[in-house]
Amino acid sequence: MIKIIESKIESLYLSTREFFIFVGEIFGLLFETLKCTVTGPFYFSRLMEQINHIGYGSTSITVVIGLTMGLVMTLNFGYGLAKFGGTLYVPAVVSLSLAREMAPLFTSLLVAGRVGSGIAAEIGAMNVTQQVDAIRALGTSPVRVLVVPRFWSLVISLPLLSALAFAVGILGGMVVCKSEFDIVPGFYLYKVFSTVKFHDYMSGLVKSAVFAGIITIFACYKGLKTRDGTKGVGLTTTWVVVTASILILVTDFFISKIFLVIW
Amino acid sequence: MNEVILELKNIHKSFGNNTIHSGINLTLHKGESLGLLGGSGTGKSVLLRSIIGLEQIDKGEILFSGKRIDHLSENALIPFRIKISYSFQSGALFDSINVFENVAYPLFEHTKFSYNQIKDKVAKMLKLIDLEGKEDLMPSDLSGGMQKRVGMARAMILNPEIILYDEPTAGLDPANTLNVVSLMQKLKLKGLASIFVTHDIPSAIMLCDRIVVLHEGKIAFNDTPEKFQNSEDPIVKKFITSTKE
Repeated sequence: MIKIIESKIESLYLSTREFFIFVGEIFGLLFETLKCTVTGPFYFSRLMEQINHIGYGSTSITVVIGLTMGLVMTLNFGYGLAKFGGTLYVPAVVSLSLAREMAPLFTSLLVAGRVGSGIAAEIGAMNVTQQVDAIRALGTSPVRVLVVPRFWSLVISLPLLSALAFAVGILGGMVVCKSEFDIVPGFYLYKVFSTVKFHDYMSGLVKSAVFAGIITIFACYKGLKTRDGTKGVGLTTTWVVVTASILILVTDFFISKIFLVIW
Repeated sequence: MNEVILELKNIHKSFGNNTIHSGINLTLHKGESLGLLGGSGTGKSVLLRSIIGLEQIDKGEILFSGKRIDHLSENALIPFRIKISYSFQSGALFDSINVFENVAYPLFEHTKFSYNQIKDKVAKMLKLIDLEGKEDLMPSDLSGGMQKRVGMARAMILNPEIILYDEPTAGLDPANTLNVVSLMQKLKLKGLASIFVTHDIPSAIMLCDRIVVLHEGKIAFNDTPEKFQNSEDPIVKKFITSTKE
C-alpha cells in the first residue's frame, strides 16, 4: 500500500516537474525571441518573406471564414431577435460580436491550424534532417534565424487578418440584412460604426497579436524539440494545433475579461 | 610535430543509462588528419558533435588552441564554430534554398563581403568541389554525393582551422567516394586539420596521418595508419575483419 502511494507521489512529482520545465522552456524561448529581436542582426528580408507566406497566404481563407461568420451570425441573430421585435438591433449585435470576439477568435483558430501546423512541420522536419544542427554548427542561432521572423510576421499579420475578417463579416451581414430583414445598407453601416468603439477594435487586435504569439512560440518550440523522424513531425503538428487552439480559447476568456474591466 | 590545436581531456558522455564515452583523451595537431574509426554506436559522431558543442559532455574538458570551449554558451561558441567546421553525414543542406544560398550562408552571416564578392567566393568553392555552375540547383536536385560535397563546401567557405567530417563517404558509390576523398585530400594539402569519422578503412588509411579506434567508450588504438594495418591488437584486428566482411 505504501509502495503504491509512494509511486503515485513520485509520478505526480515527475509530471509536475516536467510541466514546470516545459513552462520554463516556453517562456525561455519567448524571452530569447524578444532578446534576439532587440540585439540584432534582424533578418528583415526573412520577415517580409514570412509575412508574404504566412500573412498574405492566409487572406483567401480569412475572407471565406469572415464572410461565412457575417452571413451566418446575421441570419441567426436576425431570426432570433425578430421574435422579440429586435431586428433593428442586428447590425449592432453582429458588429460588436465580430469586432470583439468572432473575427479574432475564428481567424486565430484557423491560422493555428494552417500556419501553426505549417511552422511546426517545417521546423520539425528541419530538426530531424539536422538542418537545425547545421544552423547551430555554422555559428548562427536557430531562434534568430527561424523563430524571430516567424514570430513577428504572425504578430503583424494576424491582427490584420482579423481586421480583414471583421470587414468581410460586416459586408456579409449587410447583404443578409438587406435581403432577409430589409435593413438598408446606410442604416446598417451607421449602426455598425456608432456601436463599435475604439476599444472594441483594440480588444480584437490585441487578442489577435497575443494569439499570434501563442501560435508561433508553441509551434517553434515543438518544432525545435521534434525527434523520431517523420512520425515525430506528424505528432508535433497535431500537438501544436490542439495545444494552440485550446490555449487560444482559454486566453480569449481572460483577455476579454481584462478588456471589459479596463474599458 | 605541429602545435596542438584541439585537445580532449577525459571526456565522459552518457545518454540516460547508456554510457557512450568513459574517459576519452585525444589531441589533434595543426594540419593533421585524424581518422576516427569504430563500430556502430561507439560514439564517433557524438564525439564530433561534442567538440562543436552540439552535445554537452558530462565530464572532461575540450580545448581549442588552449582555450576551454566545452562549457561555453551558444553565443560564446559562435567564434569557435567559425574556426571548427562540421560536415554532416547527410550534408544537412537547407532544403528550401539553392546551392548558392547554402554555400553562401556562412558568408552572409559572418562577413561583410558584398554580394558580388560572395558570388565569386561561392563560384570558386563550387569549382573546387567539381560542381561549377550548379549554383541554381536545389538540394533535392542533387545526388547524395553532390549533397555531401556541397555540405563540405559550406563547411569550408569561412576557411576554418579544423574540419570535422562525419562519415562523408557513407552510402556513396565508388566514383562518388573517390570524388569526396579527392576533395578531402585537396583540403588537407591546404593545411587544414581534420577529424574523419568513417567505417571506410581504405579512405582513412589513404587520407589520415593517424588512426584512432573507439571501443566501449574508450580509445582502443591511436597510432599511424601503417601500425593500424599491421596491428596485432585483437580489437583492431576484429574491426578490420568485420569491415572487410
